[in-house]
Amino acid sequence: MNPTWTDTQLDQQARDRRVRTAVVVTVVGLLILAAAGVIAWSWRAELPDPVASHWGSHGTVNGFSSLGGLLATLLGIGGALVLGFGAMTGFLGQSAANRRIGAAAAIWAALWIATLLLGTLSVQRGLTDARDAGDVGNVLGIALAASLVPAILVGVFVPGDPHRPTERPVAADAPRVRLLGAERAVWLGRASSPIGFIIGVPVAVAIVVIAVTTGLWWLLAEVGVIVLLFIGLSSFVVRVDDQGLSIRSTVGWPRTRVPLDEVVRADVTTVSPVRDFGGWGWRTGRDGRVGIVLRKGEALLVQRTGDRSIVVTVDDAASAAGLLNALSDRQRQGR
Amino acid sequence: MLFRVDPTADEPIFAQLVGQVRLAVATGRVRAGERLPAARDLAESLDVNIHTVLKAYQELRDDGLIELRRGRGAVVADQSGRDHSALLAAVEAVVREARLLELTPQATAALVKEAFRQ
Repeated sequence: MNPTWTDTQLDQQARDRRVRTAVVVTVVGLLILAAAGVIAWSWRAELPDPVASHWGSHGTVNGFSSLGGLLATLLGIGGALVLGFGAMTGFLGQSAANRRIGAAAAIWAALWIATLLLGTLSVQRGLTDARDAGDVGNVLGIALAASLVPAILVGVFVPGDPHRPTERPVAADAPRVRLLGAERAVWLGRASSPIGFIIGVPVAVAIVVIAVTTGLWWLLAEVGVIVLLFIGLSSFVVRVDDQGLSIRSTVGWPRTRVPLDEVVRADVTTVSPVRDFGGWGWRTGRDGRVGIVLRKGEALLVQRTGDRSIVVTVDDAASAAGLLNALSDRQRQGR
Repeated sequence: MLFRVDPTADEPIFAQLVGQVRLAVATGRVRAGERLPAARDLAESLDVNIHTVLKAYQELRDDGLIELRRGRGAVVADQSGRDHSALLAAVEAVVREARLLELTPQATAALVKEAFRQ
């Protein structure tokens, strides 16, 4: 961190960073889709006409489409998803967490559609009647793995936010708890929701049943991933202490931290999950707000340098906000 | 919930923690069934020994204020039949009178302790 840079220059650098990430993932995503379209079109002489486009629950074909129609539909959906997630990365990507989610989702959507398209067409090459196309259960498994693994890697490798301290004091009207000179203080709370278990456990059981009855054993690997994801995203430990704000999943990941020297101010707010964040879990909200939203109601809102903000739903948010502001005061005064 | 310790105070740190949990339960800021933070998290943030926190939790358990459950940690016990509102009102009155007389908190606490002996 070069202390001679002005706020305006730092803002410009942050904007460049997020536009660069958004453009790269959008272009790469569209190229993946275009390549899949070109490969699919090059197979047209070997494919039945019409091609199979939909399979029923027993693995038999129950939908047909012309090759051109199938390409237009799938590439259209894929392109819209890539552009949407790319735009989210660019427009709502002040915080690294949002850029990671947006970039990973864009690459996931492109690879998912591309592998689905090529996978379902490849089992039809050499057929004269699309009704003879076999089961595509394994194609789904491969498409899932081939899209999720690279997407996670993209999320990991998206450039993060550099440390951006401020020396400005916290606004005088922000709530504060009173701290004595030698006092050490911590606020510990939980953001948790039973929804993760209520949905995750039945879904996991259903997948195990499907895997056993259909013999699609790769589904079992998914059970592990889904259960971990639901548990990881349904309970967080929230902590305010002399290290700042930390939000950590009970299973250790995902997590995030706001150091004291990046706190602009902390407040109590009220969250409506669907209206403000479009759902529950680790979300991206309007104006690029990062949300750890496990229920409706009271929440801690922390505004952070670089036009970033984060919301986490906790009880007793007033104490959390008051302590974070008070500790930030202490940090600005160099104690 | 909010925890604070003052290492320069005369009161031992575990007793400061016990007092704060007791107060939070009495005032309803922490409700029955709620989980207190993991002792390790609390000790880490306050920069105190984990055994200090565990000692506080054990004392709270002995008082019936919390239950220590394996895997669930410290959970605030059912407080039914322990309505603190009248007591809190009385304490408020005591503080008001003490302020009028410009008594220190220590002197006021000594009076309360003395009253318990009778």
